[in-house]
Amino acid sequence: MNLLPGPAQTIAICLSVALPLLLLGYARIAVIHGAGRRFRLGCLSVIVLFVIACIAVPGPRHLDDLVSGVLLLMTAMMLCYVLFGLLTWGFTLTLLTALVQAGRPLTSEQWAAAYMQGGDLGTFAHNRLKLLTGSGMVTMADDKLAATAKGLAVAHLVKLVRFSTGLG
Amino acid sequence: MSFALGLIAVVVFALLAPAMQFIARVKAWSLAPVILLAVSAVVSHLLGVLLGAMIPPQFRYWDFASIFGFGVMSYVFAFGAVYKSVSLEILLGLVDRPDRKVPVSDVVERQVPGLFRGRTKILVEGGLVEQNGSRFAPTAAGQITAGRIGRLRRAFGIGATGLYDFPD
Repeated sequence: MNLLPGPAQTIAICLSVALPLLLLGYARIAVIHGAGRRFRLGCLSVIVLFVIACIAVPGPRHLDDLVSGVLLLMTAMMLCYVLFGLLTWGFTLTLLTALVQAGRPLTSEQWAAAYMQGGDLGTFAHNRLKLLTGSGMVTMADDKLAATAKGLAVAHLVKLVRFSTGLG
Repeated sequence: MSFALGLIAVVVFALLAPAMQFIARVKAWSLAPVILLAVSAVVSHLLGVLLGAMIPPQFRYWDFASIFGFGVMSYVFAFGAVYKSVSLEILLGLVDRPDRKVPVSDVVERQVPGLFRGRTKILVEGGLVEQNGSRFAPTAAGQITAGRIGRLRRAFGIGATGLYDFPD
């Protein structure tokens, strides 16, 4: 068994470790607004660094090493996205932090208001709806929501993924 | 050969993970779906490495790990996208209607509050929040978890609203 990574694999492993550190660094730069934008910038940075490093590092290139390096880097980006997304947009986690920040027991309505920092669940609902309308999955007319063909296709895909991953 | 073994391990994972979710549901195990995913990943990874160890000179661990990691993370990515996504719950609720249309007020006043109640139940059952009458308060474990989340959010410059940031 060979446990030593190839050159491109080594670069990818190092950049995978560097990605969360880059995100920590970008959080200190005030001009980069929005968690999503910072994450995209972080991914773009490691991709550019990977290409530069693969060109700059001396020695022969092997296709299997390069492909494997790309896969390792993509794996790290997906893992970071799952964890970063949970921290940023996680509904349940944010409910918990809102309750703790309130510093006293809350009723269901007060908890919802604390979660929305003074707003209500309607604001939250409209934020999630904006994602659906913005991506063309749902249209809104006369205060009614309607699924588009794209929304229908996505819904079928979601049901398929849920079934095949055992979520029912 | 190492890439092929990685693919075999991914297939084992893709069969094992939903089977475990199904068994957990039928047997009413209290294990979280994410824990079952992690167990499936460890088992299929060890199985792949064990198979690789039987062909000593050809097996390159990082070639195996790259395709295995990419396959498993793609699965986890898809799983995470459909598992308890508020936007997709709204979309599925809409698509399941006979005319595939729903008033906005129905989503705002019925569906989203229902999702809110579901999440509070998860926090209570997870021992992070306790309910006394109509009021909710964080437990000691909930406060520790919220503290950790808060520190991570501050480090990564993430706000505490849980809302998507759309460009206006």
